[in-house]
Amino acid sequence: MSIAYGPVRRAKDWDALLGDPDDPDVLFSYPRCLRLDDTEAFPDDICAHLDELGLPAYYVPVAHGGLLGNFDDAATMVRLIARRDLTVAIAHFKTFLGAAPVWVAGTTTQADDLAATVLAGHPIALGLTERGIGSDLLATRTVAEPGDEPGSLTITGEKWLINNGRRATVVTTLVRTSPNAGPRALSLLLVDRRLAGSGGMTGTAKIPTHGIRGADISGVRYAGAGVGPAGVVGGIGRGVDTLLRALQVTRIATTPLSLGAADQALRLGYDFCADRELYGGRLVDLPVVRRSLGRAAAALFVAEAAVLLGCRAINALPEELSVVAAVVKAFVPSVVDDLIHDVGELLGARAFLLDVLHGGRFQKVERDHRIVGIFDGSTAVNQNYLAGQFSRLGRRYRQRRLNRDGVAVAADLARPLPPLELHRLDVLSPNGCSVVQALPDLLADPVIVRTVPAALLAVLGDAVTELHDELAGWRVTGGALPAIAFDLARRYELCFASASCLLLWRYNYEHVTTELWHEAEWLLCALTLLAEWLGAEPDGAADDLFIRLGGRRPEPGWGPPMSIFPATLADLR
Amino acid sequence: MNRTEPERLDALRVALGDPAEADNPVGNAAALAVDERGEAFVAGERLLDAFGFPAEFVPAHLGGRLTRLDHMIHIARTVGRRDLALAFGYSGSTFIASTNVWTAGSPAQQRAVADLVLGGGRVAAGYHELAHGNDVARAELSARRAGDTLVLDGRKEVISNLARADLLVLYARTGTPLGPRSHSLLLVDLTAATGDTALRLLPRFRSAGMRSVQLGGIEFDGYRLPAGHVLGRFGDGVLTATRAFQVTRTALPAIACAGLDGALREAMSLATSRHLGRGVIADLPQVRRLLVDAFVDLLVCDAFTTVGARALHLLPQQTTIVSSAIKYLVPHLLLRAVRSLSTLLGSTFYVRNGRHGMFQKHLRDLAPAGFGHMAPKASLAMLVPQMQQLVRRGWSTPEPADPLLFRLSHDLPDLRYHQLAMSSNGRDALGGTLLAESDAILAAAAGDAELRRVIGAHLADFAALRRTVADLPAGRNGPLPASSYDLADRYSRLLAASACIGVWRGSDGRSFLGSPQWLTAALSRLTVQYRPGRDVDQRTASLWPELHSRHVAMRTFDLAEHAA
Ligand SMILES: Cc1cc2nc3c(=O)[nH]c(=O)nc-3n(C[C@H](O)[C@H](O)[C@H](O)COP(=O)(O)OP(=O)(O)OC[C@H]3O[C@@H](n4cnc5c(N)ncnc54)[C@H](O)[C@@H]3O)c2cc1C
Ligand SMILES: Cc1cc2nc3c(=O)[nH]c(=O)nc-3n(C[C@H](O)[C@H](O)[C@H](O)COP(=O)(O)OP(=O)(O)OC[C@H]3O[C@@H](n4cnc5c(N)ncnc54)[C@H](O)[C@@H]3O)c2cc1C
Repeated sequence: MSIAYGPVRRAKDWDALLGDPDDPDVLFSYPRCLRLDDTEAFPDDICAHLDELGLPAYYVPVAHGGLLGNFDDAATMVRLIARRDLTVAIAHFKTFLGAAPVWVAGTTTQADDLAATVLAGHPIALGLTERGIGSDLLATRTVAEPGDEPGSLTITGEKWLINNGRRATVVTTLVRTSPNAGPRALSLLLVDRRLAGSGGMTGTAKIPTHGIRGADISGVRYAGAGVGPAGVVGGIGRGVDTLLRALQVTRIATTPLSLGAADQALRLGYDFCADRELYGGRLVDLPVVRRSLGRAAAALFVAEAAVLLGCRAINALPEELSVVAAVVKAFVPSVVDDLIHDVGELLGARAFLLDVLHGGRFQKVERDHRIVGIFDGSTAVNQNYLAGQFSRLGRRYRQRRLNRDGVAVAADLARPLPPLELHRLDVLSPNGCSVVQALPDLLADPVIVRTVPAALLAVLGDAVTELHDELAGWRVTGGALPAIAFDLARRYELCFASASCLLLWRYNYEHVTTELWHEAEWLLCALTLLAEWLGAEPDGAADDLFIRLGGRRPEPGWGPPMSIFPATLADLR
Repeated sequence: MNRTEPERLDALRVALGDPAEADNPVGNAAALAVDERGEAFVAGERLLDAFGFPAEFVPAHLGGRLTRLDHMIHIARTVGRRDLALAFGYSGSTFIASTNVWTAGSPAQQRAVADLVLGGGRVAAGYHELAHGNDVARAELSARRAGDTLVLDGRKEVISNLARADLLVLYARTGTPLGPRSHSLLLVDLTAATGDTALRLLPRFRSAGMRSVQLGGIEFDGYRLPAGHVLGRFGDGVLTATRAFQVTRTALPAIACAGLDGALREAMSLATSRHLGRGVIADLPQVRRLLVDAFVDLLVCDAFTTVGARALHLLPQQTTIVSSAIKYLVPHLLLRAVRSLSTLLGSTFYVRNGRHGMFQKHLRDLAPAGFGHMAPKASLAMLVPQMQQLVRRGWSTPEPADPLLFRLSHDLPDLRYHQLAMSSNGRDALGGTLLAESDAILAAAAGDAELRRVIGAHLADFAALRRTVADLPAGRNGPLPASSYDLADRYSRLLAASACIGVWRGSDGRSFLGSPQWLTAALSRLTVQYRPGRDVDQRTASLWPELHSRHVAMRTFDLAEHAA
């Protein structure tokens, strides 16, 4: 039996279409992206090329004529673009973020219309943030008032720090439709530049940013822009509710950006250490260097497992996304920020100089990736959101509540995912989080017990139990969350990641026989790292595991993505 | 003429003016503008010329103002809090290069270099070659004797201020075979060399941070240097650098603390002004916690580097250890703290202009504190053989340090550069204090159970470390095992802990530094596997008032608490 893991194969096809990224004559190449970054120029022609190749179809659900049937595929595409360049990936993929509220809460007509716009290659932006207001959406000042036509609205105000603010054809905009306080005062509108009336909607100046310097980060000023009844998404007063559900999907869907960034950084690290001569040998011959590489690779695998489970959960466990999305979006970008930082330490001056190693590509990916942990809900905001569900998560864990089949479908790559049902998303998860709640079973699973050293399983088991005891006793005291809540959220994320690794291994180990799966090598590395992050004493014996992994340099040159899964179908047998 | 340290600090601060003032020629807007363009910060440099900044690191007996390294550090931090790249770009290379001259130069060489520096001249420090990086023992640029000249061939790269230096202290291979005596330091007069075709400047190296620093390179092709231009003795290059760099590897991380100080001020300023709901984000316990953690990390870094700087005056034969541990640990903590603050700033961090645009500059400018002037891992590697000596000597019969090491306001004897040594020879009074005075330390902490617990944890770790090091096989071949680096990491943390405890004991019990709160937090964060416990909120609450009042009163966040 074999797993027909489609996404990987599709990625190969796309990579072939896009060409060798090291070749400066290739349109979407590293050298060109570095130049665009240097001059802070938007990657117009690359985005146009991606449009021609049909990438926007992955942002449109199958039901509306696109190719988005599950997020395995979409995630793979995002990851693939991101491992070439994050500016391009973020600029292009933004359309999905802008459109998602319509897929989640729009009418069929709205969705079909927007689908046509997206498929024609028009960028869609998402306008939530305003000057001086970050994540505090309830402070929204942009207002929409009844216009001249019945049912129409006229918008005044400004959105600021908006990706594609100047370029977008449609800006999905959060506006105040009532002077009252509270979430019901806000609505989401599709503001179409083609219909907004001349001068009613203008892009504002490009904002210089630390990373993704070429992207169009700007703003949108509304001076009487008009929106007809067809532009109201999910109903008047439903803006926050719609967003909370749409963000569940987009937050998960942005995390593959981190995998692409990690891929770039880690590959640069492996290549540099293998080639660098120092102390009469190669840098990679130093065990401590090899260990650092191995730990970074293990971190990538941990992140990948969490992303994969997260993405598949969109189809397999849609009711639980309020937890899954918060966990994955808080966890993955911060793990990868650290991973990149650690690889940077291996590169030394070459992580800092612009012209010495691959045109300074490393410092670019380091700067670029920092945005992933900030936008679309920062780490703190997601942890805050997760903390709001602590006591339920504690209770559900104790009750052993589990959507067993949903978990199995999410974890077993050979099983087809159920169709995408974005209207099933819920603001709170009644079941808690089946992935985490599967941990007691996983830790006692005979195959896992045979494979993973008992001491490691005990550390994980204790951490899970201890955490859930705290969650079950969690009382909302009113007022701001104490700092300890953020530590508990982090530990919850670590439990989710541990469960993701165990699940992926348990459901697929019989079918994948590559080196990394032999004697569960990747799993043991990943779990060891997770146990350490959960506070276990570092295990000296684990050094050998990491050192071995650090010796597994990916094929030099342009190979398949760094992944626990092999690249070709043949390898999957 | 000879102003005191506080007078100089004040004068410099006043001259630098209000950083937020838009038309201040040395304010934030100006600093960001030169950073964007990658140009030298001319207005800032003029100001430092007028202040006579280079005199701060010329020893007093040579006509400069350097009597205490900790004072020099304070002055440099006054600039670095505003713009680390200005502080480093203006004179970092002169400081590094001239320290080698004070360490090994003949009286005449010292006189000449002191006059040059005091007269506003620049010196470049030419050690680094891209091909060899940290492995300076294999640096290739060669100087071959030919009669009464030395013939130079090869290149140096990524050298600060090379294109505008008057003098180059050049590290060159002068002997075969490769070994401890195969390199020498040479003095190359670059003003005399202009027009000589046997020497060529390389194009500027661009960088992601410190963009106003002019990084250059040089290539020699049969350049002839009079044989007398050897700094110190022929063949002493490794020796001199190893000794002199104890000063610079302590002082540069100490100065880099200013970067965190500046970044923390930006973070405080954002946190206390950015609205969220009915309040500001600084009302959120988690935000306070990140701010307080950064504050504590800064105190730790300052305690360690200040004690290290004082050790150079008081214990110059022992500073190979302390300086390596500082060079490893301090940048690690500084970078971690600034990165953590960056998550707090969120989108404000990511925007390069605007009211807090300096933050991202502080973050980028701090990076070379880590890899520059010896990689963190190379610093750890230096500690491993020393620990093996210590097991047999300093740790088995520990000697405590002179209490003056920790009494920060006390004057210090002159820095005796000639006493700087190649090895600490199994002596370590900083670590030794922790061992020799453990009872007294625990007694001093008697009133605070949590403090006693965390001190006890460090003492236990020291005991365990000694046992582990004692069991290491002696004189092994091949590269160090990875686990040895972990031991050196633990040792560095213990030394930092000892410095913190010393500063606490050496201070007036009524002052903030004499309070158990900061020390408990500092020691907790220094443990290897620091895991925040249930008490994070309580601890944050105990330190927040101090941090907040310093911010409001515009005082620095380091030990000295100067006017900012
Ligand atoms: C390059 C870029 C592109 C962007 N693109 C878009 C876009 O296309 N559309 C759009 O609408 N917005 C966009 N944004 C804005 C982005 O989504 C905001 O950064 C986000 O809303 C969070 O705001 P903030 O980072 O300013 O944080 P703020 O909300 O101002 O908070 C500041 C800090 O306070 C802390 N904090 C806040 N709330 C809490 C809490 N509840 N608990 C604990 N700590 C908390 C966090 O540390 C946070 O970083 C973009 C931003 C950037 C930099
Ligand atoms: C702003 C700036 C100013 C500078 N100014 C000067 C100057 O004035 N003069 C000058 O001479 N140089 C200068 N340099 C150069 C600087 O000193 C070098 O960049 C530095 O020595 C590091 O070399 P490298 O990064 O090439 O490291 P490499 O030696 O290539 O090391 C790469 C990595 O290998 C690992 N590594 C190295 N050694 C070990 C070890 N023993 N054990 C384990 N791992 C190890 C580390 O992870 C390290 O980061 C400057 C650099 C910058 C950025």
